[in-house]
Amino acid sequence: MAISPEYIALLRVGIRSSPEWREAWDRINDYLDALKTPDSTDRELILLASFERAIARKRGEPFTPATELAFEETQKTLDSSLGHLIDGEIPGVSRSVEERVRLYLTESVDGNLLGREDELSDEVLQALREVKLQAAPSLQIASIKQRPLEFTPAGKGFIGLAKRLSPIGASRVIVWLIGLAILAFLIFSSLYK
Amino acid sequence: MFPRCEQGWPGLNDPGRWTVRILRGTMSGNDRSGKVVGLIGSSAFEEAFQEKVRNRRWAVALVTFGISLLGLWLLFDVLGAGGWTTLKAAELVLFGLLFTSLSFGFSQAFLGFLVLSEGQEPLKITNTLDEETPLASTAIVMPVYNEGAETVFGNIRSLYDSLQERGELDSFDFYILSDSTDPSKAVEEEFAWADICRQTNGFGKIHYRRRKLPVNRKSGNIADFCRRWGHRHRYMIILDADSIMSGKAVSSLVRLMEVNPRAGIIQTMPRLVKAQTVFGRIQQFASRLYSPIFAAGLNFWQQEAGNYWGHNAIIRVSPFLSSCGLPGLPGKEPLGGRVLSHDFVEAALMRNAGWDVWFAYDLDGSYEGLPPNLTEYVKRDRRWCQGNLQHMWFLLAQNIRPISRIHLVQGILAYVSAPLLVLFVLMGALQAGLDHFHGRVGMFPSASAGVLFLMTFTLLFGPKVLSLIHLFSRSRDAAAFGGPLRVLMGAIVETLFSILTAPVLVWFHTRFVLRNLAGKTVVWNTQTRDSGGPSWSEAVHEYWPLPIIGVVLAILAWWISPNYLLWISPLLVGLILAIPVAHFTCHRSLFGKLFATPEELHPPKELSGDFRLQLREGDQFVHAVLDPFYNAVHVALQRKRQSVSTASSEYGAALANKLFKEGPDALTAQEKRALLTDGHNLGYLHTLIWKTPAEMMHPAWAKALTEYRSARRAVRHQPDIIEAKLASVQPAVA
Repeated sequence: MAISPEYIALLRVGIRSSPEWREAWDRINDYLDALKTPDSTDRELILLASFERAIARKRGEPFTPATELAFEETQKTLDSSLGHLIDGEIPGVSRSVEERVRLYLTESVDGNLLGREDELSDEVLQALREVKLQAAPSLQIASIKQRPLEFTPAGKGFIGLAKRLSPIGASRVIVWLIGLAILAFLIFSSLYK
Repeated sequence: MFPRCEQGWPGLNDPGRWTVRILRGTMSGNDRSGKVVGLIGSSAFEEAFQEKVRNRRWAVALVTFGISLLGLWLLFDVLGAGGWTTLKAAELVLFGLLFTSLSFGFSQAFLGFLVLSEGQEPLKITNTLDEETPLASTAIVMPVYNEGAETVFGNIRSLYDSLQERGELDSFDFYILSDSTDPSKAVEEEFAWADICRQTNGFGKIHYRRRKLPVNRKSGNIADFCRRWGHRHRYMIILDADSIMSGKAVSSLVRLMEVNPRAGIIQTMPRLVKAQTVFGRIQQFASRLYSPIFAAGLNFWQQEAGNYWGHNAIIRVSPFLSSCGLPGLPGKEPLGGRVLSHDFVEAALMRNAGWDVWFAYDLDGSYEGLPPNLTEYVKRDRRWCQGNLQHMWFLLAQNIRPISRIHLVQGILAYVSAPLLVLFVLMGALQAGLDHFHGRVGMFPSASAGVLFLMTFTLLFGPKVLSLIHLFSRSRDAAAFGGPLRVLMGAIVETLFSILTAPVLVWFHTRFVLRNLAGKTVVWNTQTRDSGGPSWSEAVHEYWPLPIIGVVLAILAWWISPNYLLWISPLLVGLILAIPVAHFTCHRSLFGKLFATPEELHPPKELSGDFRLQLREGDQFVHAVLDPFYNAVHVALQRKRQSVSTASSEYGAALANKLFKEGPDALTAQEKRALLTDGHNLGYLHTLIWKTPAEMMHPAWAKALTEYRSARRAVRHQPDIIEAKLASVQPAVA
C-alpha cells in the first residue's frame, strides 16, 4: 500500500481546513470503531488509503459528499483486505455483509481480524472462507396428526343443551335475573323452613 | 420390552418388597438376576405391576373419600342441629366438593410422606436409570416470547456447558424457538444467538428460529418445530425461558426414555430458583420444603399415567407427532377455539395412544424461575385459568383415560374451587344472617363443629407439618436449608403469608372464572420474570376492591355475631391487608436470611454461572440498522428469504426510506417487523446512513451514529491529535 508524503501533507491541510472532510474523517473512524478495529498502524493505513482515493474522486465528483466518498472507498479498502476470505461467486452487494460477518466471528478483546490475517492458521482461514451463517438446520419435514375431538353421548347431550341455553347466557340482564331469582328462592325457602 | 434394563427395578432385590414376593415363586438358584431381567416387561410382570398400581389407587381413593365422608357427616351434624334449609343443603353439597378436593391433596401428601419416610419407593421411573445406556439424538427446545435474551441464552449456555463438561454434547441440539413480536427483542435474540454460538463455537449445534406469526402460541411454536425438524431427533426436552437443567438431569432423562421404550413423556419436578423478592423467596422456600412429599404422593398413585406440565420434561417425538395433535374445541375463546394450555391435553392424548407418562420426581438438576411478585403471579394464573377451564371439553370426550380425567379435573378445580369457596362462604353468611334474624344463633353442636374445625385445620396445615417432620428427620437436609430453627421460623412466616394471600388469590381466581364464563378472553402477554413489583399507587390501583370488600364483610359479620366475625377473620385480614402485602412482598431486602433454600445457600454449578452476552445497550432495532455486526448477522440470516416478490421489495424500500427520513421512531412495530424480514433493504439502509453527512439525515440518526464512537477515541478525538498521529505514521508509510 503506497501512500505518498505529498498526499499526507494534502490530507493534513484538508482535515484542518475543511469541515466536510473533518466530518468524513470522524464518520469513518466511528465506523471502524463500530467494527472494533483497534488503534493500530493497519487502521491508519486503511484510513489513509481510503481518504487518498476519496480525495482524488472528489476532484471528479465535486457534488458528492465527502462522507459518501470516504465511506465507499473505505468499503473498497476493506474489500481488498478481506476479499480473499469471501467466495468469489458472492455478488458485490453481499460482500460487505459477508466481510462484516467474518470480522464479527473473529472479534476479540484485542480487536478484529483486520491486519491479523497472518496470525490465523490455515485451518481457521479456510473455515472463514467456507463459513455461511445459518441459524436453523435444513428442514426434515414431518406432520402432526390432528384428530377431532369425539364426544361421548352424554357429552354431546351436554353440548346440545349448552347451545340451546347460550342465548340466555349471552344476555347480562337475563343472567342477573336468573341469579337473583335463585338467591330469592334460597332466602325464601330458608326463611320459612 | 426393556432391552437395556439390566438393573431392573431396584425394588425387586429388596426382601419384603412386593415385587420380590410376586416373583419369588418363579426364581431360584444362581440365575435369579437374569430371570428378573427376563421377567421385566413380561405379561406376568405387567399384571403384577398393574395390580399393585390398582391397589395404590384404591388406597388413595379410600383415604380421600373416607376423610371426605367423615367431614360431610360432621357438617351434616352441625348444620342439621338447627333444622334443615335449602341454603344449608346447598352448603353441604358445596362443602362435599371442596372438602374432597382438600382431602385428596392431604392424602397425596400423607402417602408421599410415608413413601419418603420408608426411604425407598420401588415403583418410580428413576429406579430404571442406567448410566451406561447410550444416549440418543435429542433436541433441547426452548420456546420464547419477548423474553430477556440474557435469561434465555444464559440458561441455554448453562446447560450447554454442563453437557460439554460431561462429554455428552454430541447427542444434543439446542433450538431457541422465538415467537417474539417486539422488533427490538427479535433483534436482541438473533444477535444473542450469534454471540452464544461464537462464544461456545456452537454454530450448527445451537439453532435459532423466529416465526413471523405466533400462530397457536406456545403449542403452535412447538408443533412448528416438530413439523420442521421432528424427524431429526428421537426425543425433545421442552424448556421454558426460565428453565434451567443440568447436563446430568438431561442425559438421565434421555437414558430413562431409552430403557423404558413405552414411555412417551417423562416429567421432572422443577425446583423454583433465582427468586429475589420476598414474594418469590417465600414461594421458592415453600415449594422446596413442601413439594417433595406431594411429589412422592403424586407418583405413588399416578405411576405410568402421569401428567405433563409443559416444560422441564422429555417427550418421545414420534408418538407426539402421531398422537398429540391438538384438536380444535367447539365454540370460540375463551372456553372454545384453540387449546390454550396444551400440556395436560398432550399427556392425555399420549396416554390415549398407549404410551406411558412418568413423573421423575426425584431427579435432581431441574429448575425453573417464578413470578417476582403477587401481581405477576396473578397474571400468570389468569392465563392458566382460561387454559384449564377449556379442559372441560376433554371431560366430555371419548377415549380419555380415567386418570387423565382426574388430572384434568384437578386442573379445573384449581381455579373453579375459588368461586365455589366464595359461594360457600356467602351461603354460610346468608344462613348465619337468617339465623340471627330468627334468633337461632349458637345452636351448633360444639363437639362436631370443633372436630370439623380441627380436621380442616389438619388437612390445610398437616402437609406442612409432615414436610417439616420429614426434613427434621434428616439432619443433613435440614442443615442444607440453614438449620432447623431457620426452617421452622421460615415455615411459620410462610404460613402466615399464605393465610394473608389466600383470600387475594381466591378473589382473583373467582374473577377470572367469572370473566371466562362471561366470554372474556385473556391477552397473551410476556411473563415478567425479573421486575421488582408494584409501587404503592400500582398496588392501590390493582387491589383497591379487596380492602373495601373486607371491611364490608367485617361489618356484616359483626352484625351477625362477634363470634362469626372471629370465625371468618383470617379471610378478612387477608382482604383488608391486600395492598400493603402486595407492595411489601416485592421488596428485595426484607427477611434476608429467612426462607433460604439449599440452592440459594449452596448453588449448584448450573445456577451459579455468570454468563454475559456481548450486546449493545439501547434499542436493538436501531442496532440492526446501524451496528455493522448486528446488521451483517441479521442480513446474512435473511439471505434465504431473498426470493421476495417485487411488491414486498418495494414495500421494504419504502419503509427503509421512511425510517431514514423520519428517524428510528417513524415505523410501527409491525412495519419494523416487515423491514426486518427484508435483508436487502436493511443492508441498503445501513450503508445509506453511514455514508450520509449529518446535515442530510434525521438528527436522531446522526446522534445515534456518534454512540458507536469508542470511549477511548471520544476522549482524545481532537484534530491536533489526529495530525500528530498522522505525523507519526508518516515515517512508517513513506
